[in-house]
Amino acid sequence: MKSAPTPLWPLLLGISLLFTAVGIAHAAPSQQQWKTLNQSLVEEHILPRYQALQDSSTQLSASTAALCQQPDQDGLAQVQEDFQQTMDAWQAIQHIQFGPIETLMRNFSMQFWPDRKNLIGKQLSLLLQQQDPQTLSIDYLYKASIGVKGLPALERLLFSSTLADFEDHSYRCQLTQTIAAYIAENSRATLTEWRDDYRHSIATAGSEESYYESHQEAAVDMMKSLIEPLEVIRDQKILRPLNGAEQVRPHRLESWRSQRSLRNIQLNIASLSELYSGTSHSVDTLLREQGRAAQADNISTRFTTLEQQLRAVQAPLVTSLNQPDTVNQLLQLGDTLQQLDRELSAEMITLDIQLGFNSRDGD
Amino acid sequence: MEINRRRFCQLLASAVLLPRLARAEAATANATPMFAAAAKGRDGHYHLYLIGQQGELMLDHILPARAHHTEVHPQLPLLACIARRPGTFIDIVDYQQQRLVKRIMAGRGRHFFGHGIFSDDGRWLITTENEINSGQGRVVIRAMAQDYAVIADYPSYGIGPHELVQQPGSAVLTVANGGILTHPDHGREKLNLDSMQPSLVRLDLHSGNHLEQQQLPAAQHQLSIRHIDTNHQGTTVIALQYQGAPGHNLPLVGIHRPGEAIQLLRAPAPVNLAMKDYCGSARCDHSGRFAAVSAPRGDLITFWDLQENQFISSIKSRDGCGLAATDSPAEFIISAGTGRCVRYNLEHGTTERLPLGFKAAWDNHLTALL
Repeated sequence: MKSAPTPLWPLLLGISLLFTAVGIAHAAPSQQQWKTLNQSLVEEHILPRYQALQDSSTQLSASTAALCQQPDQDGLAQVQEDFQQTMDAWQAIQHIQFGPIETLMRNFSMQFWPDRKNLIGKQLSLLLQQQDPQTLSIDYLYKASIGVKGLPALERLLFSSTLADFEDHSYRCQLTQTIAAYIAENSRATLTEWRDDYRHSIATAGSEESYYESHQEAAVDMMKSLIEPLEVIRDQKILRPLNGAEQVRPHRLESWRSQRSLRNIQLNIASLSELYSGTSHSVDTLLREQGRAAQADNISTRFTTLEQQLRAVQAPLVTSLNQPDTVNQLLQLGDTLQQLDRELSAEMITLDIQLGFNSRDGD
Repeated sequence: MEINRRRFCQLLASAVLLPRLARAEAATANATPMFAAAAKGRDGHYHLYLIGQQGELMLDHILPARAHHTEVHPQLPLLACIARRPGTFIDIVDYQQQRLVKRIMAGRGRHFFGHGIFSDDGRWLITTENEINSGQGRVVIRAMAQDYAVIADYPSYGIGPHELVQQPGSAVLTVANGGILTHPDHGREKLNLDSMQPSLVRLDLHSGNHLEQQQLPAAQHQLSIRHIDTNHQGTTVIALQYQGAPGHNLPLVGIHRPGEAIQLLRAPAPVNLAMKDYCGSARCDHSGRFAAVSAPRGDLITFWDLQENQFISSIKSRDGCGLAATDSPAEFIISAGTGRCVRYNLEHGTTERLPLGFKAAWDNHLTALL
């Protein structure tokens, strides 16, 4: 055998390697590959971020309670700082819109935005006007309108008040404290349910005990979390305040009162970038395993471009939005988001992922 | 009788189009049709597919754009596939000949809303349409015997008519006026959410006479009445879509009996919340007692008792939307955007996956050929 190699065998080997390569490039990932990816994303991406949200919101709840006990300037500054930390944590996990955060509409409770009809303003005014002590309980907030129990309501209370508003055990301070406690409770429940239940459901996809029929189906939720926010950021957080770039509307910006609209977008993009390539097994590594290295490179470059474009924008957006330079930068940012959206969506076809047809675009 | 007539038409058609028929026979030999629906194919194009009892692909017709509802002719081997709003085409396809028989275009200043039916007697094609300039809804009747010429054009007595159905065995049409004003210049944008006033209207098929109109109470005027089905007793099940801010947890299903106000029904709170303010399709079962209502945003199919006016149960169906009754009582076919199709028996609680040899994103509605 060894002594008489036919001149044909290198050619045959070449052909078989070519077939193997083509096979890899075109085959959809296996259930095992999806399982590995899902596990990485849950353990390294989702759970740590819900942990951070629980930690920061618990801290915020404690500092608002302390402020109402002993109102002083330092205490108010601390509460505002803790609010910023909590909002940081929320913006870094806002893209996950499935699982326990969906239960009882926790996602809307956490942040009802955009608020086109000023629902939050109206309902908060009503509460502040009536000053009904019965409204000062977590139980009341469970049943209350989504407008008054989340981060935007808290932002209004904290960033359009003076220290005097929080003195003498005022209703306003106690309402602030109650909403902060509610947010902490919501965050705690979300983390607990992920840890005790939903994580297991993802790990056992395909079995009787799982919500999912297959690991690929669970991965659809992960992929939606990667792609769908791109359009939301572009349309709601950028284009809607730009309002056609002629007459800008700074008050349509997310979190404009706490002057963190740009920071929110930066955190969102950083989180999506980590979801794409920041874990030990990721969409990026999966694409490379499928023979899509060039496309994976393009997507990584696009994330880098987004981060660079964001760094160049002047904060706070609520004032810089009036500058033509900022408008142009944001329009470019919107274009990059759209390109990234297209590139990722194209790779979903490679990966045999159907993001949802009737649920996303029904009639 | 029906089979004889169908057979006669097949023979008639085969005499004219022999080469076409040969191909059709090859594709559909030994297969019995089960359901037809529009879908987005793996190739990115929009298709009308007909699927056989064993999951065979019996027809693959490429559509000019995205469609919505498909209707099967009661006697002839014809499917009508209606463009999604604000589209302007209806493809009439002969599934035995595998041939586009006719592409109907909406009249000047008109577009379709994605829904249409053949009348029970097979003579008329009836569609909901938008009169673009006035924004008024229309119900338009085309005669099959006259190459689909428009022979009647009635008001729908509302804005944004969506699904319409014929009460089985009667000349009564039920029309869902969704209440939402749109204009092709603004795409699919909703222009009147603050003032929208949906209604359910019953019309006489032959005269267009307005028999009845029911609206929702003022507090619920943002519940768009979009998808309906009527059983042979004339009871209509209504699948609603809430257009207001989230969190109100309004009822999402309605029942209407002739001459009575619409009765709104709510699933138990956690299910109602999980339906995410949005129902996609409604169908009565073969017995007329039960109805299925899909909630694709919540990945749920809900089941309702039309006799007792109450929720029965729900099952999970990822991106499930299309519904059709089979010829067994309490049994439905469910299609999903994921490509999955199942037969669900409400009485036995059994789910049977239909064996499909290919994957496509099934669009909102399907029609059974059983």
